[in-house]
Amino acid sequence: MNASNQSGYLNLPVTKVPGWYGTIAWDALLNGMATGLFLAAAVSELAAPGVFTPVAKIAYPAALALLLADLGLLVFDLGDPLRFHHMLRVFKPGSPMSLGTWCLTIFSLPLTAAAALSLLAEIGFDFERARMLAVVVGLLPGFGAAAYKGVLLSTNAQPGWKDARWLGGYLTNSAILMGCSELLVLSALIKHAEATAMLRTAFVVLLVLNAIPLGLLFRNLQRAHARLYTREQQWRVGALIFAAGTLIPLGLTLLNGGLLCIFGSVIFLLPASWVIRFVFVKIPHTTPLEVRGSAAAEQVAAADVTTMRANPVRMHQLR
Amino acid sequence: MASDMVSREMQLSALVQISDPPRGQLSEFVGRLTYPFQHGEPPEPRPATGFFTDTTVCIGCKACEVACKQWNQLPSDGFNWSGNSYDNTAELSATTWRHVKFIEQFSAESASDLATNEPALNRWLMLSDHCKHCVAAPCHQACPTGAIIQNEFENIYIQADICNGCSCCVAACPFGVITRSEMGGHSHKCTLCYDRQRDGLEPACAKACPTQSIHFGPVDELREQARKRVEELHRRGVPQAYLYGDAPSETYSEMHSFYLLVDRPSVYGLPDNPFNPWLHMLGDYVRSVSGGLAAIAALLVVVFLLRS
Repeated sequence: MNASNQSGYLNLPVTKVPGWYGTIAWDALLNGMATGLFLAAAVSELAAPGVFTPVAKIAYPAALALLLADLGLLVFDLGDPLRFHHMLRVFKPGSPMSLGTWCLTIFSLPLTAAAALSLLAEIGFDFERARMLAVVVGLLPGFGAAAYKGVLLSTNAQPGWKDARWLGGYLTNSAILMGCSELLVLSALIKHAEATAMLRTAFVVLLVLNAIPLGLLFRNLQRAHARLYTREQQWRVGALIFAAGTLIPLGLTLLNGGLLCIFGSVIFLLPASWVIRFVFVKIPHTTPLEVRGSAAAEQVAAADVTTMRANPVRMHQLR
Repeated sequence: MASDMVSREMQLSALVQISDPPRGQLSEFVGRLTYPFQHGEPPEPRPATGFFTDTTVCIGCKACEVACKQWNQLPSDGFNWSGNSYDNTAELSATTWRHVKFIEQFSAESASDLATNEPALNRWLMLSDHCKHCVAAPCHQACPTGAIIQNEFENIYIQADICNGCSCCVAACPFGVITRSEMGGHSHKCTLCYDRQRDGLEPACAKACPTQSIHFGPVDELREQARKRVEELHRRGVPQAYLYGDAPSETYSEMHSFYLLVDRPSVYGLPDNPFNPWLHMLGDYVRSVSGGLAAIAALLVVVFLLRS
């Protein structure tokens, strides 16, 4: 029944892109870096306070700075940033964004307390018990703030995103990995040999572990990527991500425990983590026909006119 | 032209309204902070209402589009040639809540070969598209501010004064209905003429439809009416007629705005098998939490092993 040369809606995508572009890739990265750093520092400090307390006291203020940058991006990305607080008028656990907003808001309080008390301790006002209490209280909302992001980006109708069942698993796992790498850099910077040695081993284990959810995520996205990129492009990006995000950091960390190698491995890991997030966020925005703004509509119209010129029968029908 | 209108609209909306009480800057700021937390009493539930759109009688006159624009005071989108039949609206948007679609189904052979004995299968399909007012609406589930509600008529309604433009609803809608406006940054879509319904009137589009393609009323009555219409069409030699969205499927709830179609949904630009993304959410949370817990466990194991 359907003529092959008809116009219409058959090959047009149905969903609309939400307009979450590069900001969200940065948001996902900073969210992971902030929550991961806090969680890695808190868990390590609680497990071995004698070893990790000095580095954790630097990690909490750093995590707070990263979180503030992340929150700034989240607010900036809203259509009406002055209405950010409207997110807090209801609590809807069924909405990943609502759950995430509440987790971030609650997490920011103990994190601020832990950061402030850590800085106060540096200038001689030591409230150790209060600081530890803030760290313990921050664990659950901190974990929630790390875990919601992947679910937010996979629970929707967007092409590619809706198939990413392992996105949450990857992002949360990657947050802890990035947090461990940041903590490793901090411990190397303050020349804390014991903490550096432990974190170096943990970093190697986490790098290998992180390859599992990453592989599962790429498997989820195979069909979406096949629609957008050639096989060669997929292999190239995949190899780049695996090399920069896993192999090189792994090699550098195993090679030497010095500051240079540790810095080098983190310098490779963080951009690779950003690229993974960016490639993912880009999926629904990449399909040429998915972007249904005015510019895309003009392109579609131009393409249709070209088709009609090449097909006199169709032109006759339209007349 | 459209941008001129947008800037004019913004100028007008920035003017001080005579009805606005005079407020100081602090009062304005406090009011802005506290206003969204003031919850009113919800109205008494009323019988669920919706649309039944019979596409077989639609003539593509676009009266529904015009009536919707006029009643809801939606600005013009300009006039663009889309190159897609008579469809110059192109899509539903923050300023277009009704969109008449045109599908031309003409076979090239029948146009040139009139001697054939086969009946010509040439036809126009038209559909007046709008929000489906889903019973379990993904946009409603996604909204983190509570701006999207199910009102007393069980229609999905966006409270524009609450929406903060996070776009979660845009990402969640499997029909591509909701759009964030460039003017104001908030999401907008069909309200099913909530204001008219409250005053006992039918929505503007249904009122304007000259062929009664758009039926409005209590959903139960509409479903009955729609089923009878399908049976009638089957009797009259249109066996392909069926209803889209009148009943729940395994992956999607029923819709309070449903359609009578005579071709596959994708031909009309509708998803063949709509899927509610929330069906995956629990599993996604489990994977997300387990991914994080596995990493923390690995970190702990290393710390405990190397501590001694």
